[in-house]
Amino acid sequence: MASQRKRSRGESLALRYAILGAWALFCLVPVLWFLSIGLRPRTEIITPQPIYFPTFSLDAWHMIWEDWPMGKYLRNSVLAIIGSVIIDLVLAIPAAYSLSRFEYRGRDDIGFYILSTRMMAPAIVAVPIFFLFRNFGLLDTIWALMLIYAAINLSFVTWIIRSYMLDIPKELEDAAKTDGAGQMRILWEIIIPAILPGIITASVIAMIFAINEFLFTLLIASTPDAYTMSVALANFTGGSDGVIYNAIALVAFLAFLPVFLVVVLIQKHLSRGLTMGAVKG
Amino acid sequence: MARIQLNNIQKRWGAVWGVRDVNLDIADEEFVVFLGPSGCGKTTTMRMIAGLEDPTEGEIVMDGEVMNDIDARDRDVAMVFQGYALYPNMTIYENIRFPLRMRGVPKEQQDGLIRRAAGLVELEDYLDRKPGALSGGQRQRAALARAIVRQPHVFLMDEPLSNLDAKLRQHMRVQIKHIQRELKITTVYVTHDQIEAMTLADRIVIMDKGAIQQIGTPDEIYNDPANTFVANFIGAPPMNLISGTMEQGVFTAPGVRVDGLPAKHDGKITLGVRPEDCTVTADAGHLQGTVYGVEPTGDMTYLTLKAGDKLIEVKAHRDYRADLNSDATVGFDPKRIYLFDSNSGQRLR
Repeated sequence: MASQRKRSRGESLALRYAILGAWALFCLVPVLWFLSIGLRPRTEIITPQPIYFPTFSLDAWHMIWEDWPMGKYLRNSVLAIIGSVIIDLVLAIPAAYSLSRFEYRGRDDIGFYILSTRMMAPAIVAVPIFFLFRNFGLLDTIWALMLIYAAINLSFVTWIIRSYMLDIPKELEDAAKTDGAGQMRILWEIIIPAILPGIITASVIAMIFAINEFLFTLLIASTPDAYTMSVALANFTGGSDGVIYNAIALVAFLAFLPVFLVVVLIQKHLSRGLTMGAVKG
Repeated sequence: MARIQLNNIQKRWGAVWGVRDVNLDIADEEFVVFLGPSGCGKTTTMRMIAGLEDPTEGEIVMDGEVMNDIDARDRDVAMVFQGYALYPNMTIYENIRFPLRMRGVPKEQQDGLIRRAAGLVELEDYLDRKPGALSGGQRQRAALARAIVRQPHVFLMDEPLSNLDAKLRQHMRVQIKHIQRELKITTVYVTHDQIEAMTLADRIVIMDKGAIQQIGTPDEIYNDPANTFVANFIGAPPMNLISGTMEQGVFTAPGVRVDGLPAKHDGKITLGVRPEDCTVTADAGHLQGTVYGVEPTGDMTYLTLKAGDKLIEVKAHRDYRADLNSDATVGFDPKRIYLFDSNSGQRLR
């Protein structure tokens, strides 16, 4: 009886590993596939027969670094994304604090208005945005990219942080008030540390959206001075060389890598963050 | 340290009343307990004293100074909350230090004050832990240490023991009373637990539906209730309240006859008698009923009798036993019979 139970527990464990392994493989295959395309010669990409063991080649690697200013694109992406996330947090944290903690007329309407900016199709504002940035002399600068990424992400960053703030017991703030703290001190010393997982979650999601942003980046960036990884990908299509699939795959992999590494590093906070906002504890 | 006066305090949210016409004078160094059921306005009243809620009308005065427009952080009150409200990102040391930092206590004095406060609540060994690593009782003590560290004018405690188990609650009760006596700080304590109220308070303020029902010492509240609400709220089991008729000093209700009462209260009357003031007797008593339940607890036996359609609780001798549905007679202590107006519930004297 006992051995039968032991065996069935072992089987169930094996089944769980099998399901999780299959899921992990399903998620990883596209990434590995991209890497494999990026690290093979161009001649082995489009073939009538599948090649199971392609030749290892750093052609694309050399090409993207030597023929193209990939370092610059990467730097532009990183600066624009980090800058935009900082702008988002500086604006969203006080906004979320106000929306979650203070009673005033029209508060919920303002909150909904902020969220509604996300519901609009980006193409609708593309032309006005172009003229706005041109008038400010910001076209083809990283500053413009920072501002546009921040504007795109601000609404949901505010809402994610707001939902975390709503979960913080009001008693904590009351305690801080009777202890002698003012509003800014409460925000800085009590609220922000308590919602750190939420801030991290919102930041990572904002980073992912920003690194994938294409439309506005293409509109604003017209030279390599402001090109980011997402626009750089477009450089490998068309032109006299045709579509350079291995370069596209390698750049896509490089664009994926920083976000992947950030997520792995803060995994603990992120998983706690993603669930904490949803369930009242 | 501080005298607190509440003058005609009211709190409304639109048409909803939170607190009505509260008038109270709390003496310096006094320990006052607000007692009442959920939603009676006791916590709202305390939050108004703390400055966390503004009264709709009335004045809150501390040591002669009107406090209505003064921010919570400038009132020099310290509050202990039901859910402890410890800052989760800080160690216990940092938690206790927080009010000192906020009030600009010089750094060189802080460590001594923190260790003294932690010593008072026996928490010296846990100062470097985060709140999440402490048990409920330890967290409560940490919250207490944070409140006492800066020797405030007033302590406010909002059901601080309600999340603890019975044994720990009893221990913490003794500790709170001891610390309050030692520090001589005016204290307002909110609870719905009558044992806490009776054991801790110099005076108890009983509240219901936003209004004060009675203010008095624990003895006064127990022995001299002002109305049926207070009579029913204090005591375990609560006072038996029997509706009946009074005629020329004789009270009658189904199964009940009590004579020799004041002749001035004829008409519909509610008679109150506590279970501990009832005695099972073989002689002619005041109440004849049938045994509905017998519950021995070791040190006594709870006897429930049915008289008419009313259930009457009696604290009988620990050896008392009886069969269900058998007849029993109970006598009331004539000096401990209370009469109330059946309509208003107010005490008749």
